[in-house]
Amino acid sequence: MWSDLRNRELGDIHPILFSNAIRKRRFCNLTISNYKEIVSPHNGGVNSLRIDLIENRYLLSGASDGSVSTFDTQYTTDYEGGGLIGKHKPLFVIDRHCGGHKYAVSSVSWYPVDTGLFVTGSYDHYVKVWDTNSTKVVVDFKMPGKVYGSSMSSIATTHMLIAAGSSDIQVRLCDIASGAFTHTLTGHRDGIMAVEWSASNEWVVMTGGCDSAIRFWDIRRPGCFRILDRVQSLPGRRPPIYERAINEKGVTIAEDIKNRTKNRRAVLIRDSSGKQLYPRMALSHNLATAHCGWITTLKATEDGMHLISTGADSKICLWDIESGYNLPVCFESTNLQMEKPLQLAVTPDSSLLFVPSMNCIKAFDMWSGKLMKTFPCHYETTNCCCLNSQDQELYTGSNDRHILVFSPFNATIPEVEDGYKRDMLYSSDQDFWSD
Amino acid sequence: MAAVIVRLIETATNSTEREIDPRLLKAIKSTARSSEDEVCSAVHVLMEKMRKEHSQVRYLALFITDELFMRSKYFRRLFVVDLEQFLALSVGFRRNMPLPPPSFIASLLRSKSIELLEKWNIAFGIHYRQLRLGLDYLKNTLKFQFPNRLENEARLQQERRKREIKTQELLSKKFEDLKENFSSMKSEIRSTLDQLEECLHIVHIGQYRFGQNSFNADDDFNSIEFKSPSLRQIRLDSLKEGAKIHENSENRAVFSAMREFYKILVSKHLESVHNYISTLIKVDNQNNRFRDSALKDFIDIRNCIYAVKKKYEELDFQHDVNDSNEDDLWEEGKIDSQHEPQISSSCSGLNLEFADGWDSSKGKGKVPPGIFISPNRSNNKTANGRCFTVKIKGKTSDVKDLEQNKNKLEPTSIRSKLLVDAPVFDWAPSFYNWGSSKDILANHRGLELDSHWGRVDQDAVIPASKIAELNVHVSTYREPTVEIQPCLVPLKKGGLCPRRDMKACPFHGVIIPRDSNGNPIIEGKTPPNEETTGVSSKPTEDERISVTNYDDMAAKLANQAVKNIRERDNEAKLLKKAKLAKVREHNETVLREAAVTSSTHSECFGNDIPSSYRDRSEPKLKKPTLASMLKKKVTTKDRLVKKLASTRRATEGTTRQLSKAEDDAYKEAYPNQW
Repeated sequence: MWSDLRNRELGDIHPILFSNAIRKRRFCNLTISNYKEIVSPHNGGVNSLRIDLIENRYLLSGASDGSVSTFDTQYTTDYEGGGLIGKHKPLFVIDRHCGGHKYAVSSVSWYPVDTGLFVTGSYDHYVKVWDTNSTKVVVDFKMPGKVYGSSMSSIATTHMLIAAGSSDIQVRLCDIASGAFTHTLTGHRDGIMAVEWSASNEWVVMTGGCDSAIRFWDIRRPGCFRILDRVQSLPGRRPPIYERAINEKGVTIAEDIKNRTKNRRAVLIRDSSGKQLYPRMALSHNLATAHCGWITTLKATEDGMHLISTGADSKICLWDIESGYNLPVCFESTNLQMEKPLQLAVTPDSSLLFVPSMNCIKAFDMWSGKLMKTFPCHYETTNCCCLNSQDQELYTGSNDRHILVFSPFNATIPEVEDGYKRDMLYSSDQDFWSD
Repeated sequence: MAAVIVRLIETATNSTEREIDPRLLKAIKSTARSSEDEVCSAVHVLMEKMRKEHSQVRYLALFITDELFMRSKYFRRLFVVDLEQFLALSVGFRRNMPLPPPSFIASLLRSKSIELLEKWNIAFGIHYRQLRLGLDYLKNTLKFQFPNRLENEARLQQERRKREIKTQELLSKKFEDLKENFSSMKSEIRSTLDQLEECLHIVHIGQYRFGQNSFNADDDFNSIEFKSPSLRQIRLDSLKEGAKIHENSENRAVFSAMREFYKILVSKHLESVHNYISTLIKVDNQNNRFRDSALKDFIDIRNCIYAVKKKYEELDFQHDVNDSNEDDLWEEGKIDSQHEPQISSSCSGLNLEFADGWDSSKGKGKVPPGIFISPNRSNNKTANGRCFTVKIKGKTSDVKDLEQNKNKLEPTSIRSKLLVDAPVFDWAPSFYNWGSSKDILANHRGLELDSHWGRVDQDAVIPASKIAELNVHVSTYREPTVEIQPCLVPLKKGGLCPRRDMKACPFHGVIIPRDSNGNPIIEGKTPPNEETTGVSSKPTEDERISVTNYDDMAAKLANQAVKNIRERDNEAKLLKKAKLAKVREHNETVLREAAVTSSTHSECFGNDIPSSYRDRSEPKLKKPTLASMLKKKVTTKDRLVKKLASTRRATEGTTRQLSKAEDDAYKEAYPNQW
């Protein structure tokens, strides 16, 4: 590590690469944190966890008892065990007794611009927008069915739309500004489990439904413009954007992409004259499926190039967003929950993928699909995980009502002011051989 | 590489005991201590053992885990990673992973693992999040009952502290009380003490005067020589008795006053002094000077009281004992513990002495063992209508009773004579009211019996004659023991046949008296072979035989005739038996054949019996194995259930269709309830 630091000072290593390397190392060393505890106020399984995008500090959680709460991950409210264990109590809890959702909260998300608002979707057919400071509903949208997923675009500058997928076949876009539905995207043949905005294009929204199709929508145009097909797969992967930017000197990213797409088959569905075929796509395309069974999760990587989807066939698929092809990565020993929308987490450099898999969280290498690590700590099935890229921490929620914190392993015990107490604490966990 | 600990754990868990051999455990511990590799493999092996489908193995693995967990940090670090898995296997909280059989060990395993989890959590919970999580999940989500040792202890401690505070409060209150009326109480006690002492003094003066007289008389006795130590003892005792002061008309007033004072002193003052002393010792007060001085005073007072009490008791005790001697001797046990040593010391001399006399008078140096009952008509007067003195071995009071009676009335001669004649009975309930001529109230048992069965005549009486009729003494007839003669026929290998049979030895026929060499002894007769020949072949010789001989001969002939007839009878019987046996055998074979052909079940019937016999003959010394624990024992209940089920099967078949139709209807009507 010290040599890396020196190399960075000398300019041999790009600062971004350096920080990435350290982050990656820390992410690889995640273990359950003994000194940081989140006190879960929920009486049901934790369904959704989000960390805010501005400070990477406030954690929002939604649970199946209809309660929503937030935690400050930096400020410790309570200490226990002689100052050894820091407890993080919720800043506030909204449950069904104080105007919260009636049924399980399926998804939560922060307003991407600041932490003054957050959005929750629930099985009681409502999507609600909350004011964080007053913990009151600002706007609510009545959906035609149970809301499985709701999402806001993290890069949007021109609109304030919530894409919400429900048990209805239409995806609805709810406008916070006006308090009405602006779009209803029709195309899926069954309820929509997963909704995800593109991380590179503010107009593109991706949805996965119970009809096992993943559709891409451009909200400026009618109809979906792409359906992912698991049969069509790309032979290799594109190198990550940073490496490429450095390694292939002289070739800009835009050119590179152009070159690559030129060599491949036509990506978009166009006829010979170049006229776009959607909204009325060919029937063969319209029936394409991404998984065998429901699509339970969609997750776009932070660079906006790849999409990870999980399905009821207990498989994880990796897609190239730009081309719409399936990347042939086989994720080993996945064992996913099928009935519920899950929440995955990807490291910012798209190297590690964290997947809730039954009682544990599994960490996969994105590009080889190799299982790097499992975190078996929960006592019931896990539903969601969320990464804090700033502190390199992982938060996981499960049906056993706990929210666990995984942090990079360090052997040192945190500072306790009292020296004597510290000694005592330290000595209480030593070898004790009587004979 | 680290195969040692693996092997050790393998052997340790392959046992049916509830606990692990301590030597093996020690070996495991020392091996684990030697290197981290061993610890690592121990973790793996233990988890592997926990996955075994056998609760016993899991239980033992849990034990080893606990031992290592409490000791090695490295073990803990490796172990907690898989804690969730471990708990699922040891507590069995997953519905799809129940604990394996045998069930009784499974429940033991569950409770033990819960207990251990709590223990681990108390010891190392701070350092391992997984432990806290596991405990929290089992406790708060699944609502398992934990022993809650820490909380219980805290609660107990708090209770104890509360109690202490309360007692301290009480003590300080008492102390304050004491402070207030210390002087008055002291003076009161002092005055009582003084009065009592004065009384004693008066009495002692009297004693001295009285005592001189008696000692004058003593000299006269001394002139006569008593050789026997026992008699001497008696004399000394009587002298001592004479030296004691007795209450008489002169000093009655003094005595009564003394007794009163004594009572006050012992019952009131002594107790309060004791109380205050203990209070002063226990109380925690800043006023130490007063406390010390008060304590000193109290101890002084107590000593004074004791001294006076002793003096008084020396005096008064004689009086008491004399009284009790005259009344009823059974009450002796009720006398205060303080009196007791003196009584026993004074009585022991008597006892010994009278016991000697008793023995010599009986003529036998032994008292019959067990319960001995003697009709006591001779000394009815002293025994207050008690008709028996029941003497139980080792009970000195009884001995004394007898002896004293003897002493007063000198019944030695009559008694001993009667005792020699007296029959010895076993104890029976009829002796409870032997000889009593009282009527007995029928409905007198201290219970109100009116309520349910109507009026009860409280005065109903069972007449004594009826009681006597009901209480007839039962005695069982005991057969006099008869010695069975041995057969004593000389054997081929030498020696005599030692068999003892009543009439006939199965090997040597009828038992007849024989001499030490085994030759039959026939009273005054020649050996049997001569006799038989004489009867049949030489009738002429008979005439020559004398008259006496002739009689003998006749008897012999008669015997022979009887014998012959018996033999013939026996033969006929044997023949008959043989015939019957043949018939039976035939019947059996026929039956067996029929059975074998009729059903397949009965085939194994024949085979069954010999095999079971074989089993029985083999000694069952097989060690219980783990597999044998899994086998379910077939109890009588199971067998009955099986049998009932098989008989029911036929009826079930018919009812099934009916019930199925019913089920379908139900399912359609209430689809959600299935």
